[in-house]
Amino acid sequence: MITLINLKILIKLLLILILPPVIGCILSGIDRKVTAHLQGRVGPPLLQPLYDVIKLFNKENIVVNKYQNVYVITYFIFVVLSLFMLLMKMDFLMIIFVYTIANTSLIVGGMSTGSPYSRIGSVRETISMLAYEPILLFYIIGMYMLTGSFKISKLAYTNKPLLYYLPLIFIAMLFIMTIKFKKSPFDFSTSHHAHQELVKGMFTEYSGPALAIIEVAHWYEYVFLLGLIFLFWYTSPIIGLILALITFFLEIVIDNICARLSWEWMLKFTWTIIIGLSIANILFIYLYNVKIL
Amino acid sequence: MEQIVLLLLLIPLIFSIVFIYSNKKLYKPLSFLMFFICSILSIFLAYKGSLSIRLTGQIFKISEGIITLSEILMILYLFKISVKHHKIGIFILTVIQTIITLFTIFTPDKSEILTVGIDKFSLAMLLIINIVGTLIVIFANGYISEYEHHHGIESKQKLFYPIICLFLSAMNGLVVSDSLSMVYFFWEITTITSFILISYNGDDEAYKSGFRALFLNLIGGICFGVGNILLKKMLDIDTLSGIIQHGSISLSLMLPVFLLCIAGFVKSAQMPFQSWLLGAMVAPTPVSALLHSSTMVKAGVYLIVKLSPAYAGTRLGTVIAIYGAFTFFICSAIAVAQRNAKRILAYSTIANLGLIICSAGIGTGVAVSAAIILIIFHAISKALLFLCTGQIEHTIGSRDIEDMTGLIRIAPVLSILTSFGIISMILPPFGVLVTKWMSIEAAGSNPFVASFLVLGSALTTLYYTKWLGSILAYPVTELKAQDKKDFCIFFPLWALGFGVLMTSIFITPIFNNFVSPEVNKLLKKSTDMYIKRGEVVSKLGTFNEAMVFIALGLVVLFVILMRRLMISSANIKSIYMCGENNFAEGENYFRSWNGKYEKAKVSNLYFDNILDEKALTTFGYVVSSSIIIICLLGGLK
Repeated sequence: MITLINLKILIKLLLILILPPVIGCILSGIDRKVTAHLQGRVGPPLLQPLYDVIKLFNKENIVVNKYQNVYVITYFIFVVLSLFMLLMKMDFLMIIFVYTIANTSLIVGGMSTGSPYSRIGSVRETISMLAYEPILLFYIIGMYMLTGSFKISKLAYTNKPLLYYLPLIFIAMLFIMTIKFKKSPFDFSTSHHAHQELVKGMFTEYSGPALAIIEVAHWYEYVFLLGLIFLFWYTSPIIGLILALITFFLEIVIDNICARLSWEWMLKFTWTIIIGLSIANILFIYLYNVKIL
Repeated sequence: MEQIVLLLLLIPLIFSIVFIYSNKKLYKPLSFLMFFICSILSIFLAYKGSLSIRLTGQIFKISEGIITLSEILMILYLFKISVKHHKIGIFILTVIQTIITLFTIFTPDKSEILTVGIDKFSLAMLLIINIVGTLIVIFANGYISEYEHHHGIESKQKLFYPIICLFLSAMNGLVVSDSLSMVYFFWEITTITSFILISYNGDDEAYKSGFRALFLNLIGGICFGVGNILLKKMLDIDTLSGIIQHGSISLSLMLPVFLLCIAGFVKSAQMPFQSWLLGAMVAPTPVSALLHSSTMVKAGVYLIVKLSPAYAGTRLGTVIAIYGAFTFFICSAIAVAQRNAKRILAYSTIANLGLIICSAGIGTGVAVSAAIILIIFHAISKALLFLCTGQIEHTIGSRDIEDMTGLIRIAPVLSILTSFGIISMILPPFGVLVTKWMSIEAAGSNPFVASFLVLGSALTTLYYTKWLGSILAYPVTELKAQDKKDFCIFFPLWALGFGVLMTSIFITPIFNNFVSPEVNKLLKKSTDMYIKRGEVVSKLGTFNEAMVFIALGLVVLFVILMRRLMISSANIKSIYMCGENNFAEGENYFRSWNGKYEKAKVSNLYFDNILDEKALTTFGYVVSSSIIIICLLGGLK
């Protein structure tokens, strides 16, 4: 019996290790394809991100400081761990805290190189963290108030999707997804498009295998973030998936129709309107004492 | 058993006298000796478990006599300094305190009994005070001479060590007392000794801060005294355990309990009273480390947690929770705009104490457990961070976190210890974060408290990450390197760092032995949470510590396995400067548009225009005082 459960977990673990990067890779391929079409180009093949990563792995390992790659490894492992915890339906608040380790490691890694460009990128990334972290936590608290538990597994017993009572928080989540995907208008910490001012922001001094690991970790992160959106409609997985995909396409479209904004604007907007929306949503649930169990 | 308790009180006192009469060379061995004796005694006591002693008859008479005599001496001392420095406020407060003391001495129906009650929580506090506190004394040996030399003040070490020992003794007394009159007595001793320690430098600024601390703490002391008298008169309660047994049924209990809470707020430097703790920064680092981590401020939250059965689940409890959460939020916001590492730590201390008070106010099993665990973990991490900051200041001559950029190249060991301290404050799997997780989960049902905690927690991550990034940044602005390897400095640092790691790994036995029994006793019901094999389980959720530790282990494993591939085979190049590097002058110089070489300088963001310290402090004063006043006027239910 015990071995059977262990075997199940092992298979799950393997699936979690293999499937998400595949999905993430295809998603980022789609991203490039759609973006190209929106810009009137043909775009690279769908698996171009994979080719890029393979090529990066074969490049020389150039660093500016011996230990900068340690941060990348930490980032990678903790992104995978938070995705694993999400798929194991564990405690939501714990998942976000574990996910913080990954992000902090990346920020400190950027700072550790000492390059002014990565320092600017990292400082801006701390600002984005300040912007999105409260929203994630409000989302979790909203879920707790509706289900009476912080465990994601409890969502299986709900009779209504979370979206039904958390519409404002959903809007807030859409907003911070742009920050998290590092898409325009909030691609100021690291991006392909800001080369003139930032080079590559946080990742300026990363190249070769380290950059490849960051890229693979991003694929995991894509799945993790879309997983958060998926939870809004956990009751029916198909709709949940559609919701996640729509969010992803929406982000691509937003990326293509927006110009980059300053971080001041983002911070002001999130800490007033977006956080205001989230608190309003939570107050509503509190005052009407809504439960969906 | 009784003897050990007595020894814990007496040994610091004996050391205090020895320090007075010993010469300077003996300070070092004496500090180590005190560390070993106190640690062993407290560990032994913790191993033996809780006990309760009733002092009656002859012993009662003697202790009562000692207490009364010391109280009179303290009052005389207060009169003396208030007259000497022309402090009218202190004088008036001393007069009030004299009245309270006289009233208590000449109360007709005094109980003829003093109780010493050591429960699990007291044991945990004793461990912290006697291990962390004495480690700080060892650190002082490597620190204080250089400090005095640096500041050009005459050596007052003859005063310094005895007072610190007296302070530790008073703290030991405070946590083992059960009788409120004894708690009050030791409470006042910590007030006066902290005044002496804060005004250590002896200049105007030091005295100003010292008197501010004294003034506020005397107000707290008066609240405590009045609360004591009311409890005795109204309900015939004169022990902490009496309050626990009484529970929260009675409305008449509320006013005295509220007064005792105010005393706790002052001691823990909560919002309208926070200025004394910030002023205490003028004192040498060991003093601020002692005040901030293991002693002084912890006395306040200790009392508030002990009172939690009186207000758990009442409206007063909710108000206390909102009050603590607000302090947590506003102090974290102020800390973001600080560049001075010591001020960051000070605001972080106030914020964390706010979190403890908030958790105690929520009053559920999970929340009170969170409060107690946070007291333990915060003490160790904060002591480590303070001592590291002190040492950094001696190494680079600055406590500005921007100046710490590149510290890792000059003082690698110190930087790694500091970084570890910071990480233990903001990231799992270390204790402080686990308690933050617990308190947010416990606060989930009250959106006001939860919102403050959520926003405050995001701000906390921001200001610590900035600092962490600065320390670990690699290429340096030229710093004056003075990395010294003094055993007295690095032994406490390593010991505390090791302590942070071990307490986080062994959170299970700590919880089961110290926290869970105490919460069961306080709330008279089971904690509804347990920790098993590194998994914190409650009705609300589960935190899998073990998993995070395994992942950390994986990181280490990966780094070791891939060392050849990723680290040692790496080709080290200079940073990217758009091809305009200037290697002659320094790596981060570049050729500017006019052909001159300029240095690229990037600093962290501090938002001083938005998060202005003055404006936010005023805002904090208004809101926190309003919460207290509304609570009083709205009726204590």
